[in-house]
Amino acid sequence: MSTLGATIRGRERTGGRAAARPTTGVRPRPPRRQRSWRGFGLGAVLIVFLFPILYLALVSVKPQPEVLSGRLLPSRFAWENWPDAFRSVELLLFLRNSVAVAIGSAALTLGLAVPATYAMVRFNTGGRGLASFVLSSYVAPPVVALLPLFFLLRWARLIDTLPGLALVHALANVPVAVWLLDSFVRGLPREIEEASWVDGAGQVGTLRRVVVPLIAPGIVAAGIICLILSYNEFLFALVLTYRPETQTLPVGIALFQGDRLVQFGQMAAASLTGMAPVYLLALFFQRWLIRGLTSGAVK
Amino acid sequence: MSASVARPRRQGPGGTSKLVPSLLVAPMVLGLLAFAVYPLLYLLVLSVSESLLGKPFQAWIGLANYRDALGDEVFLGSLRRSVGFALPVTLIELVLGFAVALLLQGSIRGGHIVRTLILLPLMTPPIMVAVAWKLILHPSGGLLNAILGDLGLTERPVSFLGSSTWAFPSIGLADAWQWTPFVILLAFAALQALPEETHQAALIDGASPWRAFWGITLPMVAPALIAIGLIRLVMAFKLFDLVYALTQGGPGFDTTVGTFQIYRTALDQFDVGSASAQTVLFALLVSLVTLPVVVLRDWALRRFA
Repeated sequence: MSTLGATIRGRERTGGRAAARPTTGVRPRPPRRQRSWRGFGLGAVLIVFLFPILYLALVSVKPQPEVLSGRLLPSRFAWENWPDAFRSVELLLFLRNSVAVAIGSAALTLGLAVPATYAMVRFNTGGRGLASFVLSSYVAPPVVALLPLFFLLRWARLIDTLPGLALVHALANVPVAVWLLDSFVRGLPREIEEASWVDGAGQVGTLRRVVVPLIAPGIVAAGIICLILSYNEFLFALVLTYRPETQTLPVGIALFQGDRLVQFGQMAAASLTGMAPVYLLALFFQRWLIRGLTSGAVK
Repeated sequence: MSASVARPRRQGPGGTSKLVPSLLVAPMVLGLLAFAVYPLLYLLVLSVSESLLGKPFQAWIGLANYRDALGDEVFLGSLRRSVGFALPVTLIELVLGFAVALLLQGSIRGGHIVRTLILLPLMTPPIMVAVAWKLILHPSGGLLNAILGDLGLTERPVSFLGSSTWAFPSIGLADAWQWTPFVILLAFAALQALPEETHQAALIDGASPWRAFWGITLPMVAPALIAIGLIRLVMAFKLFDLVYALTQGGPGFDTTVGTFQIYRTALDQFDVGSASAQTVLFALLVSLVTLPVVVLRDWALRRFA
């Protein structure tokens, strides 16, 4: 596993970004017919992965009777579904909670994971045992931690609070962040740090002023992924909060869509509202995301 | 991960101490003790007690909770369904994702657009994934029923999520929509990392593209594919959100997987003692199923890498 990761990283370093590498120079251009088949295939892939999102957008502007009659295109755009959705679900409140928990937990995750990963990679702190301990705490299903954490938070009076949920998300995401950051720290040339030590900066000073700026892309990638993981998380949020004042968007929408009399158009509008922040984040940071995901996970 | 510690122990030159790195690691270790070790111990203690959500530890009852769980058809069924979901879904996503990654490999500009846009399903909150698919699969007015009806394939609308036959495949469909992009991205990265020369050499030596794929490309990416499959397998056992939002475990118990049954025992019936015993058994099952895949991955690494 590790050797493969090393090869991938090696290639990335020598060849630059994989997609931008001019492979055409090496690989003969496929014949025209093969290329058009490929284009057809890629188009089909895109349609499959985008149509549920587009369908959601379509339903969000359909009048309720037309949803039920099953016609694809609405006869008129029922824009009122959008303001109605904000009236029937406390979307802004849920959104605020979700964003607060995501930002708080991602900051805490990075605060724990960045120094720890640095020490584990550079100084071999904790040895093989610590590394596999970090990994195994990711492999265990979250449901294992659910009940004990419920009682722990209740004891600490953090149950049904945003800081409590943020704390749980932060700890849950630490292994992911370590995993993502690992390859970035490992890619640093040791000589730079040694020069910094010689210059008299301590280990902490070197970490802060030399290492952190150099692995900034990795920190951004890990931070975004932790933000999204927390924002999307459902099981802990469902069990560890129970008032609207502390519920996150996934919980709010899950409870709303459980109502029998729910209006489909409003439900679609509410869901799209909840999806918009992650989509903006994903598209804006796509380069970091793809690099972070692929460098962290295939090793 | 394990490689991070395999490098030779080497301390930096003067001015570096062993104490500082330990302090850098300490907060994370404390956090993980609270998140991973404490829960496991607490769970084991809970599982031998009679405990309610409001009032834990009412009595010590030994292994009674485990005996109940192992005699409970609903719970055992939920374990079977977890395995019956995780294994095929992982395999299907792996095959589809690898196929798309191969497709992407030959197209530079189109490939970049596709790799950006397939981030969207991957990043969608699972609950919203469920909402989208619930609307598509809905018996009255859902897109799929409209299409099937127009094509004359069905006479009256099918309630996919309410049918014993279709409920689980529907959840699998939503799951595959969300997670196949993950496999695509990682498989694509693995393919990009292959040395181009061997493949070219085989083609020049007269091997057909088909032979070159089976004989060279596939064995070389096999360890990466198995590693990706392992990640997906672990995640597939965590399935909860889609079941909660799409079927609530129904119809009957047809889509009640292990996580959902544990949730129900703990938070609908408040029987935390039984739920803990169930959780321990579920965790054992997950380890038991994933272990052979770990062994397979290590074997593939030795054999091909």
